[in-house]
Amino acid sequence: MKILICVKQVPEITDVKINPETGTLIREGVDSILNPFCEYAVECGLDLRRHYSDIEIVAISMGPPQARAALMRCLEMGADRAILLADRKFAGSDTWATAFTLAEAIRAMEDDFDIILVGKQAIDGDTAQVGPELAEILGIPQIMYAVGVELTGNKKKIRVKREIETGNEIVEVKLPGLVSLSKGPMIRSVSSFKEILDARKKELRVITASDLNIDENVFGLKGSFTQVVKIFPPRVKKKGEVIDGSEAGGAAEKLVGFLRERNFI
Amino acid sequence: MLKIDIKKCTGCKICEKVCPFGAIVIVDKIAQMQDNCTLCGACVNTCPEVALSIERRKVSEKELMLFSGIFIWGEYEEKDEGLIPKKVVKELLSQGRKLADRLDQALAVVVLGDGRLTGLETLIANGADRVIRCKHKLLGRYTADSFTNVISAVISKEKPSIFLFGATPNGRELAPRVAARLHLGLTADCTGLDINEKGEMVQTRPAFGGNIMASIVSPYTRPQMATVRPNVFSFGELDNSRKGEIQDFYVVLSPASIRTKVVAIEKLRDEREVSIEDADIIVSAGRGCKKKENLKLIRELAEELGGVMAGSRSIVELDWIPHTRQVGQSGLTVGPQLYIAVGISGAIQHLVGMSSAKTIIAINKDPDAPIFKVADLGIVGDAIEILPVLIKELKKSQSPCSNS
Amino acid sequence: MHKIITEIVPTVDFKGVRCIKGYNKICQDYSPYLSDESKLAHQGAEYLFFPTNEGELSAVFREMAKKGIKVTISGARTGLVGGAVPYGGAIVSLEKFDKILGLRYDSNLKEWLVRAECGVSLRDLNNWAMKKIFPGLSESGSAETKAFLERYKEIKTTYFYPPDPTEMGAALGGTASTNASGARTYKYGATRNWVRFIRVMLASGEVLEIPRGKYFATLAGEFTITDSNGNETIVTIPSYTMPSTKNAAGIFSAPNMDLIDLFIGSEGNFGAITEVETALQKWDKPVSIVQFFPSDDKAIDFVISLRKEKGIRPEFIEFYSSHALDLLRKKQKEDPKVVGMPPIPDYAKSAIFFDIRFDPETKDNDYPKLEKIVSKCGSTLARSWAGYEQRDLERFKNFRHVLPETVNSIIADRKKRIPELYKLGTDLAVPDQALEEIWAFYKSTLEETGLEWVAFGHIGNNHIHINIIPGSLTEMQAGLSIYNEFAKKAVALGGTVSAEHGIGKIKKEFLSIMFSDKELEEMKAVKIALDPGLLINPGNVLDIATDLHRCPQIG
Repeated sequence: MKILICVKQVPEITDVKINPETGTLIREGVDSILNPFCEYAVECGLDLRRHYSDIEIVAISMGPPQARAALMRCLEMGADRAILLADRKFAGSDTWATAFTLAEAIRAMEDDFDIILVGKQAIDGDTAQVGPELAEILGIPQIMYAVGVELTGNKKKIRVKREIETGNEIVEVKLPGLVSLSKGPMIRSVSSFKEILDARKKELRVITASDLNIDENVFGLKGSFTQVVKIFPPRVKKKGEVIDGSEAGGAAEKLVGFLRERNFI
Repeated sequence: MLKIDIKKCTGCKICEKVCPFGAIVIVDKIAQMQDNCTLCGACVNTCPEVALSIERRKVSEKELMLFSGIFIWGEYEEKDEGLIPKKVVKELLSQGRKLADRLDQALAVVVLGDGRLTGLETLIANGADRVIRCKHKLLGRYTADSFTNVISAVISKEKPSIFLFGATPNGRELAPRVAARLHLGLTADCTGLDINEKGEMVQTRPAFGGNIMASIVSPYTRPQMATVRPNVFSFGELDNSRKGEIQDFYVVLSPASIRTKVVAIEKLRDEREVSIEDADIIVSAGRGCKKKENLKLIRELAEELGGVMAGSRSIVELDWIPHTRQVGQSGLTVGPQLYIAVGISGAIQHLVGMSSAKTIIAINKDPDAPIFKVADLGIVGDAIEILPVLIKELKKSQSPCSNS
Repeated sequence: MHKIITEIVPTVDFKGVRCIKGYNKICQDYSPYLSDESKLAHQGAEYLFFPTNEGELSAVFREMAKKGIKVTISGARTGLVGGAVPYGGAIVSLEKFDKILGLRYDSNLKEWLVRAECGVSLRDLNNWAMKKIFPGLSESGSAETKAFLERYKEIKTTYFYPPDPTEMGAALGGTASTNASGARTYKYGATRNWVRFIRVMLASGEVLEIPRGKYFATLAGEFTITDSNGNETIVTIPSYTMPSTKNAAGIFSAPNMDLIDLFIGSEGNFGAITEVETALQKWDKPVSIVQFFPSDDKAIDFVISLRKEKGIRPEFIEFYSSHALDLLRKKQKEDPKVVGMPPIPDYAKSAIFFDIRFDPETKDNDYPKLEKIVSKCGSTLARSWAGYEQRDLERFKNFRHVLPETVNSIIADRKKRIPELYKLGTDLAVPDQALEEIWAFYKSTLEETGLEWVAFGHIGNNHIHINIIPGSLTEMQAGLSIYNEFAKKAVALGGTVSAEHGIGKIKKEFLSIMFSDKELEEMKAVKIALDPGLLINPGNVLDIATDLHRCPQIG
């Protein structure tokens, strides 16, 4: 059985600032990390393998050459091998072009997959679109916002617990299928030093556009249907008043006054 | 162009059953495409033999001009055994109305459901010119497969220039599925929609956790698709004098086209309760509340103000509240009139989910907590000491005696 | 031999120095200046000064000396023994001495040197050094400095300032005058090893400029210091031998010692350090490893083997005892986020935390020697936690700090019930060969008493912090007497009663375990020679009978 995990490398968003004059991102000194939701997807794959040992886990990412660090993290966590789609021609891809490129690579190289696991969204773009787009292009069903996955029906089906607006749902689907994981892990996983050393001996293939043997107009910026026309800093909200509340009575009085002033009481 | 691989086709008739337009017929145990095929794609994913595929070509600028109409997915939710439109539909209609007037095009709302669909006139009063009703017994509950098929069919037939979805959990699943099927550009989670001088829709959205904004267009594909963040756009009063049309769209669906099967549902929120997405006043708790027992203070304050209780991801993970009440990146986006953050430090993942609240009050021990950067009023102190006094004061001031 | 001469600084008007007057005002609006991390009870202060340069500081010293008011020097107030807590008189905060002054490469020493005022925090110093951005220096610095700055930026190598006393908010001046150490002392030594130059304001209001390697004690153990009027003072250094361990107890003394070392580690008794120049060290990418072991004894075996293995050079070696891991497990159940790590595995009965060089980019990473030592000590590299991303390095560091914080919060909780309770935390270190013996002594003594305790800390330097967590006053009494026993044992083994916290105002009683009365008198003689009016830091380290100007409000 084969599980593919599609992951993304993202900047640690808490650090990202924008240059107010040029309107461009200041990415200097910002660390790149494996997207936390993707990390949860890897954990989910590993969890399935703990129950069924004959599962191969392959991590796939599209990104610049540095993105191999994110795949290395997947290998440290326990993925068996990894594939990086790295080519200047892929640069500038929107969600559609990303999903399309991933789908082409999967069709060409890992067509015998059973499950694709993805994170609910990447913390930089927050679009949450690549997962469902990938599923649609590959013609497979998807289950979103999952928090738990188990195999059932003689490993021909999965049963997924997913979060819905009013609670939880248990959904079953025949494989192959795609599952997007809803949470990041509460505590990030940690690898042993042995796992870190062993990961560096595992296979990490780098694939370029020419390896996929497809018209290059469908990749990257050229293959994207959306175009970013402007990037700008958000309007900064006027800073409100911050007062000392070490004395509960005074703080409560201030709060009541504020609520009354704004007509909430 | 729909391609049928006759070597793979077994003539099983599944595609014939799922085609919304009756554009496939089986002749001599082989599927054949008819002239009325709209390339909606409903058949492709249901074929068990993978014998069907669609080759899409780029549409010329001239052809793009033929697309007209602002369409909105009118998402319904179950309540009291019935189906009623979600709040975001009103927001979309209000904003859609503005776009429609700018472009001088019609505003249509597409509603999917079973026999329980009601309130269609209200949608007209909210701004719609047309209500496109898609009624089928398999549409009583949302599934990605059935809704993708129907929305794709509507788009293929009606050819609107813009199609908007609420960025709700279901909207964020459905829109990319439709976009991928019909090869359309799609922008997620927009907080601003405008029309530029070329008549294109400019879609503005936050990225990097709200640190930057990006404006995006889809120049080559129609309809231009976007999901729109709930609680961002306001809506006005109902205008019952508005005239509009309710039209039925003929739906073809087969159980075979729905691949996922719900086997159990666990309700964590009574559907009659106000969801935090719809609430006007939210009192939200974080780790600074220290103990689960202290949440009764939060609940009490919420009740006193006529609001609801919510919380940060941390306390959901500690199992103090269900995820249906979680605000933030991995939870829900809220936009109340008043948001009181109690013991929430305000990590960027939380701020993303609540920064569109009109008024924000924060109580936190740490004077450097980022939540104070967005708060209209910040109190540096121990919430567990302050809240009991506040609740007492509120009770006093709200009681009838205080009027004298 | 160079003559040691103090210089006059340009005088300024005392009245121009920012000053908060009156105990009540200080208490009300400036209360943080009355305490430090020791939380020792203060005895009030009548004045709080904020001088901004040496001229102002000199004016304050002269004026206070004239009025007979003692001064307590205050920095970032991160000390653990009450050094900055005032016992009456005036507080002089040096926080406005916060400028970076220079950067240069010394081609003789072959090292990069940063010079800064005493109030600069170690955090800032390290940020500047590592990110290669020195605020203001490219504008205000001399042409020579600017050229060095350019050269520094162009080098690919990253540099940092190694002394890391955990609290990176500590001020450079404070860490120099206390010879601060910490985990990285294992590889890099204490602050003393890194200071190349200081300026000290003496009680006279004159300044002594001391580059390392210029002024040495005579064979008779004397320094002769001449003031601007030509008056000579002879300082005789104490005759004792310092322990070979890392040490923060007592004034530094060694035959033919460098004058700079008399001031480093003196806990501010001889003057206020106003400027410091320190060397920087090349920074290599590390991996943090928490290696688990089946018992405390196996963990200690590992430390001993690891130290002998010259091929592996850890940045630091830290210890978590079996009880410490249990305490963290309990904390994880309460609030996993505070600990920030996955559940500690059940098989882990002890752990050693260390950093070694690691380049995540290279393919052939191989650590056969490490693997061998680990397996010899009953574990495997699979039974470890490791991480090299910046956020992991921080998280591992937090995992270390959360331990004392947890102990402190337990004590704080119990204090609500019994206000007299406090944490009993040892700061003892012994020489390498005594590690097993002292550990066996700690363990057997503590197990006998049934007291609640944990052990952790800088085991690389044989500097294990034993924390006794008393639940009652009886237990605290028992703990105190054990603490005394431990201190005696450590000294008997050739160790120290205070390896890094210093003596300050709260550990003076331990000095007499380590030093004879005669030796203590020798220390006092140095103090009297350099500060005859006993103006500076009353009550610190040495008990010299003085008339403390306690505030009347304190009683």
